[in-house]
Amino acid sequence: MIRIGIDIGGTFTDFAIWDGDAAGYTSVAAMKVPSTPPHFADGVKAGLQRLVDQRRIGRDDELLIVHGTTVSTNAVIERSGPPLALLVTSGFPDLLSVGRLRVPKPMNLFSRRAPPLIPRHRVFEIDERLLADGRVDRPLGMACVVRSARQALADGAAAIAVCFLHAWRNPAHELAAGEAIRSALGDVDVVLSHAVWPQQSEYERASATLLNAYARRAMAGYLTEIDTYLATHFPRARLLVTKSNGGVMAGHEATRMPIHTLLSGPAAGVTASAVLGAMLGERHLLTMDMGGTSTDISMIRDGAAMVSHDGRVGDFPIMMPVTAIEAIGAGGGSIAWLDGRVLKVGPRSAGARPGPACYGRGGTQPTVSDAYLLCGFLSADAVLAGDLHLRPDLALAAMQPIADALERDPVAAAEAVVSVATANMLANALPFIARIGLAPAELTLMIFGGAGAIHGPLLADEIGIGRVIVPRVSSVFCAFGCLVSDLLYDLVRTVHGDALTPSGIAATYADLRGQGAAWLETQAASLAPVFEYAVDMRYAGQSFDITVRLDAAAAETGDAAAFATAFHAEHAQLYGHSRPGAEVEIMSLRLRVRGVLPRPGAEPAAISAATPPQRSRPARFGGAWHDTALFAWDDLPVGWSAPGPVIVEQETATVVVPPGFSAAIGRFGDLILQRRQ
Amino acid sequence: MDPVRTEVMRNRFAAIAEEASNVAYRTAYTTFVKQTQDYQVALASADGEFFAYPMTAGVASSVCQNVRGLADEIGVETLRPGDIIITNDPFSGDALCTHTMDIHLLRPVFRDGRVIAFGWAFIHASDIGGSVPGSISPTNYEVFQEGVRIRPALLYRQGVLNEQLWHFFADNSRIPDLIWGDLCAMMAGLALLDTRTQELCDRAGTAVLLDSIEDVLALGELKTREAIAQLTDGVYEFSDYLESHGDDGHIFIHARMTVAGDTISMDFTGSDPQMRLALNFTTGKRPHPFMCLPIVYWILTTVPTVPFNGGIIRAIRTYAPVGTLMNAEFPAAMGNRWVAVMRLYDAIMGCLNQAVPGGVAAAGAGQAGIISVSAIDRRSGRRHVSVVEPFGGGSGGRVQADGIDGIDQPTSFLRSAPIEVVEVETDLVIRAFRYESGSAAPGRHRGGFGMHIALENIGLPAVVTVRGLDRFRFQPWGFAGGACGRPAEVVLNPGTEAARDLGKIDVLELRQGDVLRMITPSGGGFGDPFLRDAALVAEEVREGLLTAARARAEYGVVIGADGLDRAATEAVRAVARPSPPLFSLGPVRLALEARWPEATSFALACAVLTRPPSLRSHVMERLKSDLAGLPGPIGAAAIHTALAAL
Repeated sequence: MIRIGIDIGGTFTDFAIWDGDAAGYTSVAAMKVPSTPPHFADGVKAGLQRLVDQRRIGRDDELLIVHGTTVSTNAVIERSGPPLALLVTSGFPDLLSVGRLRVPKPMNLFSRRAPPLIPRHRVFEIDERLLADGRVDRPLGMACVVRSARQALADGAAAIAVCFLHAWRNPAHELAAGEAIRSALGDVDVVLSHAVWPQQSEYERASATLLNAYARRAMAGYLTEIDTYLATHFPRARLLVTKSNGGVMAGHEATRMPIHTLLSGPAAGVTASAVLGAMLGERHLLTMDMGGTSTDISMIRDGAAMVSHDGRVGDFPIMMPVTAIEAIGAGGGSIAWLDGRVLKVGPRSAGARPGPACYGRGGTQPTVSDAYLLCGFLSADAVLAGDLHLRPDLALAAMQPIADALERDPVAAAEAVVSVATANMLANALPFIARIGLAPAELTLMIFGGAGAIHGPLLADEIGIGRVIVPRVSSVFCAFGCLVSDLLYDLVRTVHGDALTPSGIAATYADLRGQGAAWLETQAASLAPVFEYAVDMRYAGQSFDITVRLDAAAAETGDAAAFATAFHAEHAQLYGHSRPGAEVEIMSLRLRVRGVLPRPGAEPAAISAATPPQRSRPARFGGAWHDTALFAWDDLPVGWSAPGPVIVEQETATVVVPPGFSAAIGRFGDLILQRRQ
Repeated sequence: MDPVRTEVMRNRFAAIAEEASNVAYRTAYTTFVKQTQDYQVALASADGEFFAYPMTAGVASSVCQNVRGLADEIGVETLRPGDIIITNDPFSGDALCTHTMDIHLLRPVFRDGRVIAFGWAFIHASDIGGSVPGSISPTNYEVFQEGVRIRPALLYRQGVLNEQLWHFFADNSRIPDLIWGDLCAMMAGLALLDTRTQELCDRAGTAVLLDSIEDVLALGELKTREAIAQLTDGVYEFSDYLESHGDDGHIFIHARMTVAGDTISMDFTGSDPQMRLALNFTTGKRPHPFMCLPIVYWILTTVPTVPFNGGIIRAIRTYAPVGTLMNAEFPAAMGNRWVAVMRLYDAIMGCLNQAVPGGVAAAGAGQAGIISVSAIDRRSGRRHVSVVEPFGGGSGGRVQADGIDGIDQPTSFLRSAPIEVVEVETDLVIRAFRYESGSAAPGRHRGGFGMHIALENIGLPAVVTVRGLDRFRFQPWGFAGGACGRPAEVVLNPGTEAARDLGKIDVLELRQGDVLRMITPSGGGFGDPFLRDAALVAEEVREGLLTAARARAEYGVVIGADGLDRAATEAVRAVARPSPPLFSLGPVRLALEARWPEATSFALACAVLTRPPSLRSHVMERLKSDLAGLPGPIGAAAIHTALAAL
């Protein structure tokens, strides 16, 4: 079976290909084709056709195609989904607008909450009420449900979302409302909140329910097109789609539950980092994906990607577990400017058009990429994106005003721009790292995407990370992530306020396992589920809970003492203090179901003593020019090493090794930077 | 000021502050830290100015305070590494602490044997003893009712806990374990501040660090002065009122703003003396953020790159005579002071609207009730205090946007709790939590909607307290033709024979089956409603938030069978109308000022302040009742006559 990972970006659609029968990671091949917005499927088809032309795949091959797509995310951010209606418990018609009340920037006199996804006249108050323990306080008013649904449809609603209070505990009213609508009005698309994500918190759950309904049309349209294409051209292909939690799901599931794809874009790169990190024996990683306008960072602790329960897509919260990503507003296109007497970089970006001044596409403002060029990090001879020749003269002209204001030469000004950009990243990165309770010195930085390999090592040096990895497939790393992801499904049961017993906890986990196994059965019938347990806990009286991983024995027996022990340890790890002996509360039980898919294994390449050709060019570090050795990555054999400063160039990326670091090609062909003692 | 190093170090400082603040936030116990974010952790210079202050969470306004007064109470030269100072005393430490519920900690950061910075943290403790659970009752009239009070003292000496001090504190709280949890959270944050500062010294050098502290503060001052220079020079005055409890009395707040070049000052002379209510606060000798909040927000809004640090306050002067509500003396009660801070906010905004060409914003709800409920937990049998919801109203319409719905600007950091969580943690059923239809005050930019909340108790009798209520009579004012907002309303068991209009509640027992309905004030409108985009008015009618009749009467917008009737709207709007006053103050205030002109209230406050502190409230009451019998507007001269006659 051949496994193909496909990741669509704004400029390129990336492919990673692994012929499952051949060697492991070292044989994974990379390919890029231009993206074709807004009809992204065309780029995917063109790429697959190119693989056929190159005879890497054939019509009758068994293919496992794992696809990351942002069509659903785009629909939400652009608010281009269909009109929807929402049925809510009577008394809460402004649920969506009130949200969590707080405005985004409380100290800004003109701040406001984002408008809801649907207008108030398509929110219908339904006569019904459940109490917190699930008992019925007021029975469901069927006539009210049908009347509201009829009015919603007349008003153009393409789907009807239902979110009643306490439905996560007792779904009876939501189920009955769905039944009533369908039996009265026929085949209406009804989405029920408890079926999307049965967790306490009505606004977040309503939001998730609406988003799921909202993204369906875009996702269904897109996947139908891909499916049809595959069925015609590759009858033995299977399609999987990446999820925001770093796993994958079947294509039909993505159409049903597109909510799980909304933050999948950056998640695949983090999954790839976790897998490669495990091969390389790295326990804790900081991942970094630097683009033109922003830089995404994430973390992996003890091999597991950091999970967030408060993700956001556009203006909306995502309460289900997702790979935690911190987006930093600093990228290669960030514009340098003077704010009175102080040098600033960003948050404005030259973007892809006009792009940095050195792209010669009309940009005249100095960007971080122009600074790279002037500092010698980027080569004046380099050809980017196939046809882009960099222009040092334009970079110089753009940097001149900064240089004049700083009373320095343009190269020194460029170096200052790089320093400030690094400081901007640091201001976000350090608090983010602290959230997982690790010190920078304990982390290895894994870099992928555009400009990251230039700036990543500089950032590592600045914050005290001693080891940096640039994967050999870094240019298509998210596509590689598609190659190595497992089927993943998350379940949650809120138990806040319940009287808990060990047997009750064990029974709840058993119930969740049953649901999880059933889900996996619908995705891939032959796979045995692997269960990963976690629990949300807090000290009695605290405002926030933390999610603690549990071993199977503790979870399956409901061993509350073991839960508490794990909680105290995690609290100390994350926050530097704990209170063993203090009362703890269990808020929610969580289960992750994993269906392990075949993936490339860790087979090292042969070590070679070959001497690669070496050139040099001056590059700027620490306020002085250094004669810097220059290599082409393709020339570097496994086992090669050299002391920094070194620059390693690849067709799609440049790696800058600062003076304090040495560089080596690791046993799988990755570039590994190590701080020298 | 090095143009590169300043920016690099500013980022370094920000990273330290955010990390430490997050630890305290995530691990605190105080019941409402998550919703009200009533805590902070930050780093101040050896001179006491904050140079590393979090922006993403926690109380923001303290960035303009100074910790030096607190350190000086102990004596900086006597401090040792590992010391931690504790206090919750608003009457010492130069008013860093502004009511007893705020526990402050200060930890000196030593380098090479000297103090180079102070780590500071505070948290609003859920209970520090006193007359009621939670320690706050709006009708408390002296500090002794507001819990135990500790003047600055060493909680830790060289890393060793002063257990006797802690026991004394713990023994006087209803929830000592939770308070200790809060202190642990704060101290974890303080320890991080110290560690990170030391690391930065190792990396950059202590001298560079110290220079950079001054650089970022100087930059804060510089950017602030640039912003102030945009204001129109002049002297601007505005007044507003707080309402007293249990009667129809009022408390006069007078603000006077002077803008001259790149300096600005606020003077609250003429405001009422401190009250025998928990509305007072202390502000010390230095400029205080509570007396200039709208100015600080305006600077942060118009100059987004101003570094968020104590340099901002260097360009601002504030003053209030000792003994006034906002510069209160021992033994003033202060638990409910935030609503007074909000009324100062309104008064200052009234001045700022005159200093900024075109104005800024109308008055908002001017209050933020925090609803908490105290009941016996059926499972544990213990008394349990829960915060139900913050209970704000709309903000005022703004020069470039409508008001915020459901929450006023100065409390727009508040988070509401999920209904589904509230109903698990209490025996309340929330019957409604929605905007009050039709409540938005008309304006070109309308005011924000007031909230409507209805609570039913289905369990054992419970005690509900709501602090921070106000504006039941004095409506949020509109600006530049905008209408004033609607007042607050609290009714027990509405729609039944037992319905009771409660007004401003303090402590209320809810029996099983009782329903409490509260409606908050809406924000005032900004600008002429007839200039509002007619499509927006029509949309509000369609959404059920405004009636067609009021759209026509108040906005001149005609809604026909098919929605907006543009032609008819144009015709209605073409009819000339009298030009409105700059501020729409509402009938209650106008009626009051017809009897008690602002100048009279000003003179009354000043006159009473000349009397000994212990007599002032009696003198005030007596003068008001003596003068009430006079016909027509009461003049300032009558005050002096009456005072002389006392």
